[in-house]
Amino acid sequence: MSVTERPLPLSMDIVERSDTNMVLSMGPQHPSTHGVLQVIVEIDGETVVKADPEIGYLHTGIEKSAENLFWTQASTVVERMDYLSPLSNAMAYILGVEKLLGVTDQIPQRAQQLRVMLCELSRIASHCVWLGTGGIDLGAISGFFYCFDLRERILDLNEFSGGARMHPNYLRIGGLRDDIPAGFLEKVDELIAMYYPRMRELRALLQKNPILQDRMIDVGILGADDAIAWGVTGPSLRAAGVAYDVRKAFPYSGYEQLDFEIPTRTEGDAYARFLVRLDEMDQSMRIIEQLRANLAGGPVMVADTKYAPPPKETIAVSMEALIHHFKYVSESFRVPPGDVYSPVEGPRGETGYYLVSNGDNRPWRVRTRPASLYNLQVLKKIAVGEFIADMVVMIGSLDPVFGEVDR
Amino acid sequence: MPSSQTPPAGSTAVDPTAVRPPIDDARIVRTTPDALRAELLALKNDGFAMLLDVGGVDYLERTPRFDVVYHLLRGMTAARPERVRVLCGVDGPEPVLPTVSDLWPSANWAEREVYDLFGVRFSGHPDLRRIQMPDDWAGYPLRKDYPLRGPALERTPRPSFALKSNVAAGTPVFGKTAAALQRQIVAARAAAADGAESLAAGQSASEPGAAKTAGGASTTELAHEQNAARGGQLPKDGAK
Repeated sequence: MSVTERPLPLSMDIVERSDTNMVLSMGPQHPSTHGVLQVIVEIDGETVVKADPEIGYLHTGIEKSAENLFWTQASTVVERMDYLSPLSNAMAYILGVEKLLGVTDQIPQRAQQLRVMLCELSRIASHCVWLGTGGIDLGAISGFFYCFDLRERILDLNEFSGGARMHPNYLRIGGLRDDIPAGFLEKVDELIAMYYPRMRELRALLQKNPILQDRMIDVGILGADDAIAWGVTGPSLRAAGVAYDVRKAFPYSGYEQLDFEIPTRTEGDAYARFLVRLDEMDQSMRIIEQLRANLAGGPVMVADTKYAPPPKETIAVSMEALIHHFKYVSESFRVPPGDVYSPVEGPRGETGYYLVSNGDNRPWRVRTRPASLYNLQVLKKIAVGEFIADMVVMIGSLDPVFGEVDR
Repeated sequence: MPSSQTPPAGSTAVDPTAVRPPIDDARIVRTTPDALRAELLALKNDGFAMLLDVGGVDYLERTPRFDVVYHLLRGMTAARPERVRVLCGVDGPEPVLPTVSDLWPSANWAEREVYDLFGVRFSGHPDLRRIQMPDDWAGYPLRKDYPLRGPALERTPRPSFALKSNVAAGTPVFGKTAAALQRQIVAARAAAADGAESLAAGQSASEPGAAKTAGGASTTELAHEQNAARGGQLPKDGAK
C-alpha cells in the first residue's frame, strides 16, 4: 500500500509528506544525537535523500562571555566548550595568550610535560565517552560500563591534581596552578597498568563484534577530498587517509620530542573512524608513559612575576606579595596588542583559538575554531543515500560535542 | 565585572593586526571586499585546499568596522604545512561580502554564524539563515555595542502576592513574613475560587463525579484558610 492511498495524520515528528518522500524531524531530544541536535531528514522509503542538521540549541554565548572577562578568567569559560575534553580548549587558549605575551619559550619544562600528560589523559577520557555512547547507540551496552570505569579513573586524576573532575582549570597562563600533589604519579602508574588489559577487553568486546561491524562497515563513507573540502579534522580526517595531526604538523609544548604515531585508515567509513580512535587511545597512552618516565623537575610556573601569581605561602607573611596577589586577581595583567591563531589537536580535531588583544586586560575577541562544528557539518554530505537507521551510526562516528558546536 | 548592560570599557579603535608582535603562526593577507573572492580563489588554486575557519571581529570604532577572518591550510601531510590568514575589512550599516561556500563547502555554516552573530551578509550564500540564535532574534550578539546580557526587555510581571514589597507591606511589626505571605496566598486563592465557582456552577449538574473531586479539593483548601484566619499559623508540615 503506497503512502498516498492511506493518509496518516501527521505527528509532531513528521514535518511534511509528499508522494514518495517524507520529511522527518529527528531530535532535538533524540537520545542518539549526543546532545541537542535536530536533523531534518528527507527520506524516500528508508533511504535518506537530504539531511539538514539544525544546531544552536545549546548556544550559551561563551565567546561573548570570554570577551567580558579578564585574560586569566576567560580560560575558565573556554573549558566549557568541549566539555568532554576541557583541557584541550584551555591548552589552545593558553598557548595563544602566551604567544601574545611572548613567554612561550619561558614556560618551565615540567609544566609543559604535565600539560601534555593531562591533555592526553583527557583525550583518552573523551574517546571513552565516544566509545561507550557509540556502543550504546548500536545496542552494545556492556562496553559503556567498561569505558566509563576507565574514564572515572582519569577524572579521579583530574580531581586529584586540579580539584575538579570535569573542569579543573588547572592549566594557567604561564604554567600550572600548582605542582602535582604527592602520590599523583603513582596513580598514573596504576592507570597505565590497568589501561592495556582494559583496552584488550574492550577491543575483544567491540572491535571484532560482528553486529557492530555489520552496522559500521561501509556506512557514512567520507573520502579524503571531501573531508578536506568540508574542513573535517581529527580522527574523521585520518580515517579518510590524510595523516594530518596538529601535534606532528605544528608541534607545540614538546610534542616534537615525543615518540608516537598517527594512526590512519583509508576506508573512510564509520568503522575506520572507530579503529582510528581506538589506536589513538593507545598512542596517547604511549605518550603518557614517556612523559611519566622522563618527567623533569623544577617549577611549574613562569618566573616572570608579571604573569605569575605569588606563591600562596608568601601571601600571609609579605605585604608586597599580598598586594601583588590582590592586583593579579582584581586586575589581571595587560596583554600586548596583536592577534594570534593558536591550534592544538583536540580529541575531535583541530581546536584553534583566534585571539585579538587591544592591549587591555580583557581579550577583545576570543574566536574558537570548533572542530565539532565542521565535523558535524559533513553529515549533510555523508548521510545522502544511507539508510535512516544508520543516521545514528554516522552521528556517533563523527563524535560531535554540542558544547563546542553551539558554544 | 563591568555592568552587564553596557558595552565593555576601553573600547579603543586600535587595529591589533597593525601593531602585532612578530608571531610566526601564519602568513597574513589583508584584502578588501572587492578583491576578496579573487584572492581566496587564487589561494585555493595555489593548494590551500582546506578552509579551517571563518570568524568575525568587531572593532567598533575603526573604519572599516568589521574584520572577517579566513584561516586556510595547505600541505597537511607535507613536511612543512602552511597556514594563511586572510583578513577582510568590511564596513557600512549593512556589511556585505561575497560568499566562498561554493569554493569550500565548509564555509557554509561558518558564514551563517558570522551573519548570525555579527550581521555581515554573504551575497550568493545558498542558505543564509541564523544558525545559533533563534530565527526571530533581533540584533547581532557578538557586536561590541550589543549588551552582554542582551537587550533589557520588559519582564513578565510576577503575581502580586509573590512580590517582596507586597509581602513586606503586609508584614506584622514582629516580622512573621511567612504567615503574612500565607494570608495573601489564601486571599488570592479565595478570589480565584469565587470566579471558578460561578464558572463551574453550570458544569456540576452534568458531571457529578467531577464536581465531587473538585469539592474535595476545596475543603482541604478551606481548612487551610480557616487555620490561617484563626491564628495565621502555618500548618506543621508546611513550616519546614
